[in-house]
Amino acid sequence: MNYILFGVAGTTYAMRSDHVLHMEMVEHVTAVPNAPAFVEGVVFSRGQVVPVINLRARFGFERAPIDLRTRLLIVQTQGRRVGLMADEAREFVGIPDDAVRPPGDAIVGLSGNYLEGVATLGDRIVLILDIREVVDALPTAAA
Amino acid sequence: MKPPENQPAFGAGFMDDYFAEAEEHIVTVRRSLLTLEGALGSELPAAVLEELFRSCHSLKGISAMVELREAELLAHHMESGLRAIRNHQVALTPVNFEALVVAGRTLEHVVAAHRAGSPLPDIEEPIRQLRALATPDGPGDSSSSIAGQAAQAAPAGAPLPRWKVTFVPSAELVARGVKVDTVRARLLEIGQVLRVIPKVTAGGGIAFEFELETRDESKLAAWREDGVAYEPMPVIAPDVPSVLTPGAPSEAFAAGTANFVRVDLSRLDDLMRLVGDMVVARARLADTLERVEEHVPFREWRALQEHNAGLERHLRDLREGVMRVRLVPVGEIFRRMPFVVRDLARDYGKRVRLDLAGGSTEIDKFLIERMMDPVIHLVRNAISHGIEPPAQRAAAGKPAEGVIRLGASTSGESIVVEISDDGAGIDVPAVVARGRAAGLAVPEGPDDTRALLDLLCASGFSTREEADRGSGRGVGMAVVRSTVRELGGLLALETAPGRGTTFRVTLPLTLAITDAIIAQVGDQVFAVPQSAVREVIEVDAAALRKIERNELLTYRGGTLPIVRLSQLFAIESEERPRFHAVVVGAGLAAVGLMVDRIAGQREIVVKTITDPLLRVDGISGATELGDGRLVLILDAPALSRMQAGRQSRSEGVRA
Repeated sequence: MNYILFGVAGTTYAMRSDHVLHMEMVEHVTAVPNAPAFVEGVVFSRGQVVPVINLRARFGFERAPIDLRTRLLIVQTQGRRVGLMADEAREFVGIPDDAVRPPGDAIVGLSGNYLEGVATLGDRIVLILDIREVVDALPTAAA
Repeated sequence: MKPPENQPAFGAGFMDDYFAEAEEHIVTVRRSLLTLEGALGSELPAAVLEELFRSCHSLKGISAMVELREAELLAHHMESGLRAIRNHQVALTPVNFEALVVAGRTLEHVVAAHRAGSPLPDIEEPIRQLRALATPDGPGDSSSSIAGQAAQAAPAGAPLPRWKVTFVPSAELVARGVKVDTVRARLLEIGQVLRVIPKVTAGGGIAFEFELETRDESKLAAWREDGVAYEPMPVIAPDVPSVLTPGAPSEAFAAGTANFVRVDLSRLDDLMRLVGDMVVARARLADTLERVEEHVPFREWRALQEHNAGLERHLRDLREGVMRVRLVPVGEIFRRMPFVVRDLARDYGKRVRLDLAGGSTEIDKFLIERMMDPVIHLVRNAISHGIEPPAQRAAAGKPAEGVIRLGASTSGESIVVEISDDGAGIDVPAVVARGRAAGLAVPEGPDDTRALLDLLCASGFSTREEADRGSGRGVGMAVVRSTVRELGGLLALETAPGRGTTFRVTLPLTLAITDAIIAQVGDQVFAVPQSAVREVIEVDAAALRKIERNELLTYRGGTLPIVRLSQLFAIESEERPRFHAVVVGAGLAAVGLMVDRIAGQREIVVKTITDPLLRVDGISGATELGDGRLVLILDAPALSRMQAGRQSRSEGVRA
């Protein structure tokens, strides 16, 4: 299975690459008043209106200023198109299925709710995101 | 008329044509039946009977071509029955009429079910009833020469009836010596061949379509075994009024069907999208022009500006042209209503007259499709809940026959559809009691019609106990309102005890591109659709009166609530002694939206916002002004609703 690796607040996350349509640099994000707190705003991506989820806010970290490394991962799930804002996007890797373990109780913290599994790549630990949970619009404790 | 063996199944494109054509004939059948009903017991209008007959005949022909046997059979038996009536062998009694109506409706269902791929309804019973109606035909082919007789009866000099004759060659026919030249020769014997169009069928085979002018089409029937199918071509009949435009038939209608082009709506969508892209591209151009002004010699800059202005003008014309193509008469919705009313009135034992007005008012095709079910639902409600039974009406001193009025009109860039009845009005205490029973939050004494409407439209209210036909298709008031809102429209209610109820739907004429006021609040830019804006006023902050949490402005002899967008949307913005207010909404629902700056008026391309993460009260969509940045479009009706909600919370319920 192929994954895209990206960084949020110093941690490396992975997302199945078949969910990701493309990646963009982030320029201007239009704020949407009264939207859930983890929604950074809205952008046009290839002519479509796409909500932008700030993954830092989603995982309960402090927001960070947008810079040249900030990336928007445009993902498609359940018929929706959503942008996920990460601090940086790193690489594209194949992770064998048997290297992925269920998240278990070892992982504590807000992002724990959004994990599909944990993989070990050499000496690196990678958290695999459950995209459905991440883009779920239902208000959570963080929102 | 079985298609030849070597003919593969017809492709989807062909089926689309079939459905489109069948729909047209079905509409004619409905309409003619309705006219005939009015004439029961008196002289039947021959032209209507003729039209009905022709439509059944065509339906039979086209259904046979697509091998929809059930539809073909129904149409065939309707045709036979009608022939018997036309030839005065059988009288059109109410029982016979009912048989025709049932058959027509079943036919409609068969076509719809076939389209949806769902199981077809039973056709045995309607056909049995029709058989009872029709006296047996003499020997010979079922297709009589009614059109031919009609033509003979027509005054001299009238155009000859035209027929569309289709020949599908096959190996088997060739073996029997029947080729396209054979068919052409036969046709020339009985009339004049106006055109021959070879067509590639969806299956990759070939067919020939002849346009034939003849009085003697009876021979055609005998050639069916030879792969020949035929149907009458639409007759240009200036004495048949166009139903679409009762008031003023447009030139296109008067010119006859031949001048119409049937276009797939998605192609028009594509076109509209392209125009939208051009509008954005031009906005970018204008933006760039602004920025290069100081680098370009004045003379050249002015020329550029003029070209840009010219481009904008043409684009606007183009946009309006495309928009006009998409507009269809709202009468399309109305045409189905007499049937809905007739059936339901009978089911409920009520007497109802339907008044239609403004059927020629035009509205975007997309809106029509979406509004069909909600309007039907409101009409159903008017009959099941609004109009009282005849006895009760008589007791109240009203005529036994209730009236439902369905009207449409345009007002500025909006269209208004009204559904009103002269029934008992809404029983507010009963509605409140039922709301409470359903566990809904009911404000004390909702004498405010808006609160009443909220209650009626609350999900869980309208559909719960209504398993009867009135709520038949599961479209409750909640769905009615959400559909209207999705389309950027507004639903309003007026009701008076004993005098009736009116539902008013206000919709934008079109969705895709519109003019908008661009306004700024803090560092955020918003677009307000022009159709919602009454005017933009300058306000002196000192003139505001504060009442609890509300700020009111004296405005045109009344008061206008001011909505601070900065507060509502939590946007940082400094207090100003003077500011602009964009007045939106009409009557009591009018509010002034307080903004820092008006940045002008622009043509915007509306993109709807559908993602649940972005579903925010007061925001209806997004647009781009040319700099690549996204600008949110304000939902003016929602903002005025939100203001009303705030008011009733802070003031308590107004008496």
